[in-house]
Amino acid sequence: MSGSDINDSEGRRLSTTVWTALDRKAGAVIELTIKQLRNKTSTWTVFGVSTLLLLLLSAFYVDSVRDGFESIDNDGDSVDYDGDGYPLGQERKYGSSDFNPDEYPGSGLFIPEGEIYYNGPRSHTGNHSWDADGPSLFSGSWDNILDYYPEGDEPCPEIIDELLENTPYGWSPYSCVMANGDRYLQFLRFDGNGTLTVAQGWYAIFGVVTERFQVLPDPPEAYIDEDGIDWDPNNPSSSQGFDDDGDCTRSEYPEQVAADNDDSNRNRIPCDVLWTRGADGSVIQIQPDMLVDEDPVDSELMGESSHRSFIIITGKIAFAMIIGIFLPLFLALGLIRDESENGTLHYLLSKPIHRGEFIVYRLSGYLIFAGGFVLLMSLLMALVTVFLGPEGNRLADFNVWFGIGAVTVLSLAAYGSIFNAMGLMSPKYGVYLALIYGVYEFAMAVMTLFGAELVPVISVSHWSLQMIDAVVLVAWPDTIMLSQMSTAFNIDSGLSFFWRPPLHTFGTGSPAFAIGLSITVLLAFISLPILVGQSIFKRREID
Amino acid sequence: MNSTPAIALDHVSKWYGQVIGVNDVSLAIDGGVTGILGMNGAGKSTLFKLLMGRLRPSNGSVKLFGTDPWETTSPYRRVGYVSESEKMYDWMTSLDFVSTLARLHGMTRYEAEKRAEQALSFVDLEGVLNKEIGKYSKGMRQRVKIAAALVHDPDLLILDEPLHGCDPLARTSIMNVIREMGSKGKTVLVSSHILEEIERITEQIVILHSGKLVALGNLHAIRAMLDKHPHRILIRCADSRALASTFIDQQPVYGVRFIDSESLEIMTKDLSEAHQLLPTLILKSGIQIYSIENPDDNLESLLAYLVGDA
Repeated sequence: MSGSDINDSEGRRLSTTVWTALDRKAGAVIELTIKQLRNKTSTWTVFGVSTLLLLLLSAFYVDSVRDGFESIDNDGDSVDYDGDGYPLGQERKYGSSDFNPDEYPGSGLFIPEGEIYYNGPRSHTGNHSWDADGPSLFSGSWDNILDYYPEGDEPCPEIIDELLENTPYGWSPYSCVMANGDRYLQFLRFDGNGTLTVAQGWYAIFGVVTERFQVLPDPPEAYIDEDGIDWDPNNPSSSQGFDDDGDCTRSEYPEQVAADNDDSNRNRIPCDVLWTRGADGSVIQIQPDMLVDEDPVDSELMGESSHRSFIIITGKIAFAMIIGIFLPLFLALGLIRDESENGTLHYLLSKPIHRGEFIVYRLSGYLIFAGGFVLLMSLLMALVTVFLGPEGNRLADFNVWFGIGAVTVLSLAAYGSIFNAMGLMSPKYGVYLALIYGVYEFAMAVMTLFGAELVPVISVSHWSLQMIDAVVLVAWPDTIMLSQMSTAFNIDSGLSFFWRPPLHTFGTGSPAFAIGLSITVLLAFISLPILVGQSIFKRREID
Repeated sequence: MNSTPAIALDHVSKWYGQVIGVNDVSLAIDGGVTGILGMNGAGKSTLFKLLMGRLRPSNGSVKLFGTDPWETTSPYRRVGYVSESEKMYDWMTSLDFVSTLARLHGMTRYEAEKRAEQALSFVDLEGVLNKEIGKYSKGMRQRVKIAAALVHDPDLLILDEPLHGCDPLARTSIMNVIREMGSKGKTVLVSSHILEEIERITEQIVILHSGKLVALGNLHAIRAMLDKHPHRILIRCADSRALASTFIDQQPVYGVRFIDSESLEIMTKDLSEAHQLLPTLILKSGIQIYSIENPDDNLESLLAYLVGDA
């Protein structure tokens, strides 16, 4: 039985080869763990479901790539709400309302000249177009007024100072001729030469209506992709952009209306876009004035932006949140608990191996196995997106996918050690503890997705998602710009929702710092439960 | 051999709540094969679990080669343990199983495989070492467990009910292995609740009852004491009445009871003398004998004698 004289294939005495006994023990436990996981049905079930999920996502991706990106009406001005045949964009240009079919480009525009205020004199005399808002009396001659008579033979009410609720028609447009030949009216526009008296607390406007002229309605398509992004990266000026469709500058308007929205970015230049660059020259913020560059050509921008969104969504939700939590739940919870329950633990623990050491080797075996699967999956996903993605430097995609794989492996390690500790803490109820903790982590991940900075910091998922954001920024430095573009120019790719610049950089703004910090925190999430598990396991009697 | 004994228990007790597993046991064992005898629940497995650091003693101290096995795993370098648990990794081959456990002793993969092959052939399993354990018979599984315990050539081998549920062939093979280990000067601890099994392996025994150590020493000496106490010999023969007449006036016999025409029970206070007398008397009577049994020659009777309740 003595085997001390056994030599290896190269003739060295086995007890003196380079591998220390520690490595050999670790190797044996790791190998055993991998073999055990390989022999479990639940392993292949959870691997199968994960693969299916990724296949499904890839199918969506392939489908969207094949279809290309249809142009959409980013600023929503191709609609015709009032059904007068003129789209909103065209009505905007001519200053007519898209909620009143009687108002349309060329229909004649009411231009106010004066007002009977809420708290001013109650009447005004003259020859005007009048717009009465509320119960009023008009004496004089009138034109262009529609009569709304009271039903049946009811007499025209002579009320004017009373509350609106007391008039027969409430908030409806209404008018009738009273016994003395004056006219009672409310909520109406008409032409007339005479005196208008308005009830207390109401008001009216008077002015002129412009000449009618003919304007042919534009097709709705003319208001899709009609105002593209006018930006030259080589131009150092921060004020760029051009209002191609003229709805900011209002160049075709019959009259310049006081333009409150012309300089919403407050750079004192009306109708431009403010492009702010960071220290390294990359764009970090985009603030357009309202209605400038607001409907760009989608196919030019959606491609790259949607491609990145897909990778980020898959990385965050499928990898970090679903696979990252479910794999450990199925594979790590029972790493030691199952051995103990199956009555096979004593084979391993009756050998000269420390119980604390044993936990680390067990977790390592699980991590190599589950982590291998995750890295393989991220490589396959990388191949799909690299070969089918839009033109450009697609090699950076590999870095992002590798980062996603690495983040997920760190999550696997953290959840693995947490769930394993829970299994040790309570062999009976550990699975419920783990499920509750899994739900908590998922909730924290959702909060992180919605931009919460503080509450979710005590969660693995928060730091995993943070790290993905940081990895994305390292691999694709212009993601801030794309994300800003999505927000500024209404490009609905999901990028600005699913990706945010890393939060925890302590003012440095450096994604590398964020990655380092995330790794540090995740390592703490890995090692603390291991220490807890070790101290529980060391004192545990194995009956 | 080291001066510290392989096993040293000093006033060791183990309670499971209100239940006593082991009660104030002191014991030192070093070298040779020792049988741990006791009925089910006597505390044999608890004792072994204390030795293997699986349980922490409620009281007293446990030492393996002078070291507390609850505090450190270092004594396991020199210990091989076969538990009573029948659970194994059924999906593994025996070679894989034994070599994996060998690697936990710090052996290289190559060395572990060589040693595993040796250990498996030592327990007569060399022909099936690449077969999955799940396909093995009970006796083969038991031998795989023994091989795993022997693979690192331990100085102390602890076997908890190794013969339990084995077929006669496997029993013989396992008994041979235990005897051989003992003859090599190793310390072997083997538990059983069957006196006859232990008797075939060793003379040195420890008897546990209700967690207490009730006897320790040479089995024959203990039995000799037992022999001086009332014993029954059950004889099945062609004519029990005629046979009874030949026994009734013999010295060691103090009573005879007829069970039926073919069965007879002889009461004696000196079993060995009675057994010496039996062949002569039977030959003289010329009556055909079918069987002779000693219904009191078992652990229950031994315990009844030792503990003092019949």
